Amino acid sequence: MAAVKRLKRVAAAQAGFMSFKSSASSDDLGSGQRKRVNKNKKKNWNKHSDIQDVEEFLDDVRLQERATGGLISEKPDASLFFVDIGEQRKYVQPEVQEGKKGKKSKLRPLRIDLILQHDSLVHPPKDVLAYQQPNAKKLRRIAENAEKLAAMGVLPRRQKRLLNRRPAITTSKSKTAANNFPDRPYYDLWGGDAKETADPYYLEQTGKKRVKRPEKLNSKPSVLPAVEVIAPGGSYNPDFFSHQALLLEAHEVEVKREKAELRIERQLAVNQEDTATEETVFQEQVEGLVEEEEDEDEEEEDVSIRGGLQQEKKTEKERRRERANKIKSQQKQAARAFTDKKQQLFQLRSIQATLKRREQQTRERVAQRKANQEAEKSMPRRLGRLKFQAQDLEVQLSDEIPGSLRTLKPEGSVLKDRFKSMQKRNMIEPRERAKFKRRHKVKYVEKRAFKEIT
Amino acid sequence: MGGLQKKKYERGSATNYITRNKARKKLQLSLADFRRLCILKGIYPHEPKHKKKVNKGSTAPRTFYLLKDIRFLLHEPIVRKFREYKVFVRKLRKAYGKAEWTGVERLRDNKPGYKLDHIIKERYPTFIDALRDIDDALSMCFLFSTFARTGKCHVQTIMLCRRLTVEWMNYLVTSRSLRKVFISIKGIYYQAEVLGQLITWLVPYQFAHDHPTDVDYRVMATFTEMYTTLFGFINFRLYQTLNLVYPPKLDSKSESELKAEHEEDYAMDSESYLEKLSALSASLARVVATAEEEENQLDQFPAEGEDLENMEAREKEQKEQEAQNRLFEGLKFFLNREVPRESLAFILRCFGAEVSWDKSLCIGGTYDVTDETITHQIVDRPDIDKQYINRYYIQPQWVFDSVNAKMCLPVEDYFLGVTLPPHLSPFVEEKDGDYVPPEKLKLIALQRGEKHVQDDEEEDDDDDEEDNDEVDDEDLTEEKNLKKMEDQRSQGKTLAVKVTPGKVKPWETGSMGNKVRLEQEEKAEEKRLAIMMMKKKEKYLYDKIMFGKKRTTREANKLAAKRKAHEDTSKAEKKQKKAKKQ
Repeated sequence: MAAVKRLKRVAAAQAGFMSFKSSASSDDLGSGQRKRVNKNKKKNWNKHSDIQDVEEFLDDVRLQERATGGLISEKPDASLFFVDIGEQRKYVQPEVQEGKKGKKSKLRPLRIDLILQHDSLVHPPKDVLAYQQPNAKKLRRIAENAEKLAAMGVLPRRQKRLLNRRPAITTSKSKTAANNFPDRPYYDLWGGDAKETADPYYLEQTGKKRVKRPEKLNSKPSVLPAVEVIAPGGSYNPDFFSHQALLLEAHEVEVKREKAELRIERQLAVNQEDTATEETVFQEQVEGLVEEEEDEDEEEEDVSIRGGLQQEKKTEKERRRERANKIKSQQKQAARAFTDKKQQLFQLRSIQATLKRREQQTRERVAQRKANQEAEKSMPRRLGRLKFQAQDLEVQLSDEIPGSLRTLKPEGSVLKDRFKSMQKRNMIEPRERAKFKRRHKVKYVEKRAFKEIT
Repeated sequence: MGGLQKKKYERGSATNYITRNKARKKLQLSLADFRRLCILKGIYPHEPKHKKKVNKGSTAPRTFYLLKDIRFLLHEPIVRKFREYKVFVRKLRKAYGKAEWTGVERLRDNKPGYKLDHIIKERYPTFIDALRDIDDALSMCFLFSTFARTGKCHVQTIMLCRRLTVEWMNYLVTSRSLRKVFISIKGIYYQAEVLGQLITWLVPYQFAHDHPTDVDYRVMATFTEMYTTLFGFINFRLYQTLNLVYPPKLDSKSESELKAEHEEDYAMDSESYLEKLSALSASLARVVATAEEEENQLDQFPAEGEDLENMEAREKEQKEQEAQNRLFEGLKFFLNREVPRESLAFILRCFGAEVSWDKSLCIGGTYDVTDETITHQIVDRPDIDKQYINRYYIQPQWVFDSVNAKMCLPVEDYFLGVTLPPHLSPFVEEKDGDYVPPEKLKLIALQRGEKHVQDDEEEDDDDDEEDNDEVDDEDLTEEKNLKKMEDQRSQGKTLAVKVTPGKVKPWETGSMGNKVRLEQEEKAEEKRLAIMMMKKKEKYLYDKIMFGKKRTTREANKLAAKRKAHEDTSKAEKKQKKAKKQ
């Protein structure tokens, strides 16, 4: 830049330089005296040295550069002047312009844009920094170096550290899929498991060790098999007799049920004697009006008995006699017992027989009790509020039996069968469906539209 | 005499039990969660012996648990998960209420879940324990897999159950361990023998559900959740024992065969593989490809006396078993569209048959109706238009009955439009003296007939003689008549079919016969003497036993007579009907 400026100044000092504004320099030359100023201080230099002319000159240079794109003195003549040869084409142009006036006006840029447009012919200086990368050289060198190392197979330290890091435990973070996920994987659950190497005491104290399942829990609550096969009469094409047997069984169940129902009905029935007849109604109405006297008599009698109960004192004689009687009877009893005992010697056989009988009885009872206990193992227990109720027997009547597999109509529901089987095996307690309880009373209101009609 | 007075209900059974509500409070769980926990951990309510003592004087019916069980539950890590889930639901509801959708999403992502693996391991410490308890799991999973996807339970549960049951069926097909089938009006009962354990389960018919209202679906779903986990682990282990790939893969050979060009029409890509597996028509891939299964033979040990007999019996049993496993081998079946495809395909494949079906019926059919090599076509309609001459057209019951009889029954009784013989339950085992339906007698005779041809008569005579020994003289004549009638009837059909050449009974001629006869007489004599020599007490007991036996035989005979009468009347009716028609 400095070189360019100097050049310009040199150019200005030369005789051939033409300024844009011709009048500027002549006024300053004639102004009065000079002021005396110390020139040993830089401050004074700045203050009192006259740089007006230089600045004017530079302004002029800048103006020229802005307006024309360079110093006018340096321009070739051909760009400054043209040969005037009169107005030849002036008439042609307006005609064309008039014809396209509408279009041109639309194409012309807005004035505001024109104002904002960069009108200087000097190009703005290039921002070098925008194109420059800081530390470019260094970075380039590093990259080159890394490439070279990678080619040799040496990893940078950061990567090495990443690789060296212990793999994060991904399993714990990964989601546990739902148990019913259709494609869930299975593995060998009972395969040789890895022995726990950790200290058992540590595991126990930190709660990492599973509590051992009591042996007792592995026994089943019932001895019944999981799947009870239906009786042979339940075949889709049964043998006549087994079918009859099944029908009989079902019939018996039904009869029993009916009997129970009848029993309840009988118990609930009103006794004929309890119903009011005319006579009883009348008697009820008259009750208390007629027969009052009898009651009073009874009361009197009661009083008399109570009076009689008061005993007189026993005499000494009476007491003695009583005592003697008592002793006598005791002696009599003792004698009797003694003779009985003596007689028992002759009853030995019958005694033995009774003893045997008794023993037999107890043995039978023990056996019976054992049998009952055994039978109870396969019986449904009472596990809750409700008793277990067996499922209805699945039976097809003789005319319902299908001739072929195609026409078979399945009886009963397997789902219910499974459910009842679990109840029967004491795995779940029998329950009934929770009843729907309405919290608020339902209020019936006629709709207005409906109301209008009725 | 001094000392503190004992307070009531502070020791003994009153302290050993805890009511359900108290247990629930102790665990800080809701009733539903408590119930779920108990089911998962296998803790069941208990009925105390002295209810009044346990209930502190009250007689109100309550559900009791053993206190120790509940204490054990306190250590379960799942309890915490339940509590977490409760909190999760609360938070979710709150977020919904406030319409914080990002919050809802975040919560959903972090939904707490739990695993049941450790519980399974704890409840079934060994694999065999688990296998013993699989009946329930099987029935439940088969049941749930037939549910419609209507929101009665999670669709995912249904799909999982389906997958597991298909795996199970494929295992049975590969291991050939199905033993018995029984078609009842309720569903189909199967019995298989897996690793020495007899396993019975019930499969409902397809599309037969009316959902009963008095069943607690939540409880059932909880059971299923536990059982699916158990079942999956068992399946894995079973597949391992057979060297099969788990999850099951189709054989590469059969897979290429099954690759139909229009398989996209049938099912989505994601589902078609399971469908192909469930078609059961292809074999499974093995971990180690083995060309042929080597014959596994029992190890031979030198043995004496009873052991030897046992051993022989066992060997015989095993041979029979193998024969049963190859029951349908080499036969080629075609299922018509009206027969239950899945159960039939499963059974047939279990005994080594080749099965196919119409293309429009299901994926996985390997050959067409027009295939000339088909030996049996299973049909369940009164008549069929176009019949091939070189195959049997039989009703589906033939398959089930053959499996139960452990032999291929004669097909004549099962032809198209023929009235079927009754389908007997294979789960009934008659003791001697019980009434045996004639159909079963016939079947037994048939089974014997395979081993040594036609000596029914002989055996029957033997039976008669034995009976004579047992039955006393008093009502012998009457009973004999009945017995003869029954025998004749039971034989009648077989005799009608077979024509036996006149056979000379061995003991009527020759020294051999005499020997046998003498021996028998000797035996009878010995028996009579033994009876004579009995003590009074023993004699009494003996008489009682004999009386019981006689009673059962009498009842059986009565039933047989009844049956005969019934058949006669039904025959007469039929004849009349025929006459009328004509």
